[in-house]
Amino acid sequence: MNDPDDRFDELMRRALADEADRIEPADRLHEIQSRVRSQRKVTTRRPWMIAAGAAVVGTAAAIAAFTMLGDDARNTGEPEVAGPPATTSSTSSAATTSASQATQPPSPAPSDQPSTAKSRTTPEPSVKHKAVSVYWLGKSTGNESGAGVRLYRTFVPVSGRPALEAVRVMASGKSDDPDYYSLWQDAMPLSVTQYDGVVTVDFKTYPRLKLETGMAQVAVQQLVYTVQGALGDQTAQVRVTQQGRSGVPLFGLVDTRQPFSRAQAADVQALVWINSPTEGAVVRGPVTVEGIAATFEAVVNWRATNQKTKQLVQGQTSTRQGQGFSPFSFTTKLTAGAWQLDAYLISPQDGRITDVDSKTVIVR
Amino acid sequence: MVFDECVAHESSWDADEALTAVYTAHYTSLVRLGALLLRDTGAAEEIVQDAFVAMHARWHRLRDPHKALAYLRTAVVNRCRSRQRHLVVVDKHMPRSLPEEPSAEQAVLRTAETDRVIEAMRTLPEKQRTVMVLRYYGDLSEAEIADTMGISRGSVKSHAARASKSLRQVLEQSR
Repeated sequence: MNDPDDRFDELMRRALADEADRIEPADRLHEIQSRVRSQRKVTTRRPWMIAAGAAVVGTAAAIAAFTMLGDDARNTGEPEVAGPPATTSSTSSAATTSASQATQPPSPAPSDQPSTAKSRTTPEPSVKHKAVSVYWLGKSTGNESGAGVRLYRTFVPVSGRPALEAVRVMASGKSDDPDYYSLWQDAMPLSVTQYDGVVTVDFKTYPRLKLETGMAQVAVQQLVYTVQGALGDQTAQVRVTQQGRSGVPLFGLVDTRQPFSRAQAADVQALVWINSPTEGAVVRGPVTVEGIAATFEAVVNWRATNQKTKQLVQGQTSTRQGQGFSPFSFTTKLTAGAWQLDAYLISPQDGRITDVDSKTVIVR
Repeated sequence: MVFDECVAHESSWDADEALTAVYTAHYTSLVRLGALLLRDTGAAEEIVQDAFVAMHARWHRLRDPHKALAYLRTAVVNRCRSRQRHLVVVDKHMPRSLPEEPSAEQAVLRTAETDRVIEAMRTLPEKQRTVMVLRYYGDLSEAEIADTMGISRGSVKSHAARASKSLRQVLEQSR
């Protein structure tokens, strides 16, 4: 280290790193995405929507119908997440009504299962049409606890076997919300079967990705949450196998000999979710935004930014309860145009914005 | 070091997924790279944003996060360099104040040593400064710097040698 060259190199590295650390760039992801979107002529990401009707309004109607189905799935399948039953029962019944009008009679997965389902290996029954929840990874902006990514959720219409289809969507990596992604891409799911309360997801191949521990754990929970969500059973353990074989390490390091259980929502789930409107939805003002948040003293902050005029509308709302994940909603008047809706928390330590969930919507 | 952390070894991403993933992993360090070259964070953000939009448009040809990063780096460096050349012309006509005004806290955090190096870097011609930033902040090899800047490895070597020599002199004097 006494070599003057080494000292010079060391000085240069330190000084430039030091100078670079002082530069805190503003987040531009949404700006980049909206520029990219405006340049794109034909969307190839949502084939089912194109099938449902190429017109924008038709697409919006389709999204709205599935969102309501989604609420139904949430309220029946995930009481912990949605808050106590008393607070959600009213929306639940409303959603059920809309759902039955929209498609097939809603039938939560557990009651679908024949009673023998848990005593022998059973593939899940097929459904003609159902919206299932699929979980994704998204950045937990400003929240450095854990792996820096947390689980977000979208609802996807499927037909066939709900859990297998949900896992397929997850493995396709194609989320409707560009902020969300999957670490199961290039995995090939073959089947989802149940035996004795354990759900086995068999893959032709696991993802080739190698991950570090924290990230791998969130990725495993992405699968567990997705499978349990589709089956409407949060207690089911989830085993993964590769071509029927147990024990092949996942993501380079995860032991697969034992089935996985659901991790605490507080550890892996994003602290703020916007459930509705969904990404890209066309809505009429005034806009009501609904979501779920786990927040300090029940406060959720929000802002709406007009993407063209940059007009900013912002405010605060509260979750129904101060502890754990609890629903929130707010309604705001927005002029016609494209708006970015953000719901977020403010760090009690230093006032930073954290845990942002964003949706871009078109207000008519 | 800064650029080595690869997001994932994914070739099945579509352009949107690649954009989000590569942005998450590299946006900050690319803006910092640009800001070190330009001494203007706002301008660096603009340039990096343009580069990401361009990367998205050609993802079908890149198809690989490593290639995407190399593409972004080249795009950012090229745009910064042409902007710098433009600014040099402007500089000759009007005195320009420092674009950044560090807050009091930042000013304290910033060591005198860093100040001296950054000031000394300002005395370098544009190419030499770019080589030094890519080498010491980006931790790029000679070959990578040559690719990024579109010059030969020999030129990288000679720019680096000249830059080191004059930096040492300036730093000696300001000590």
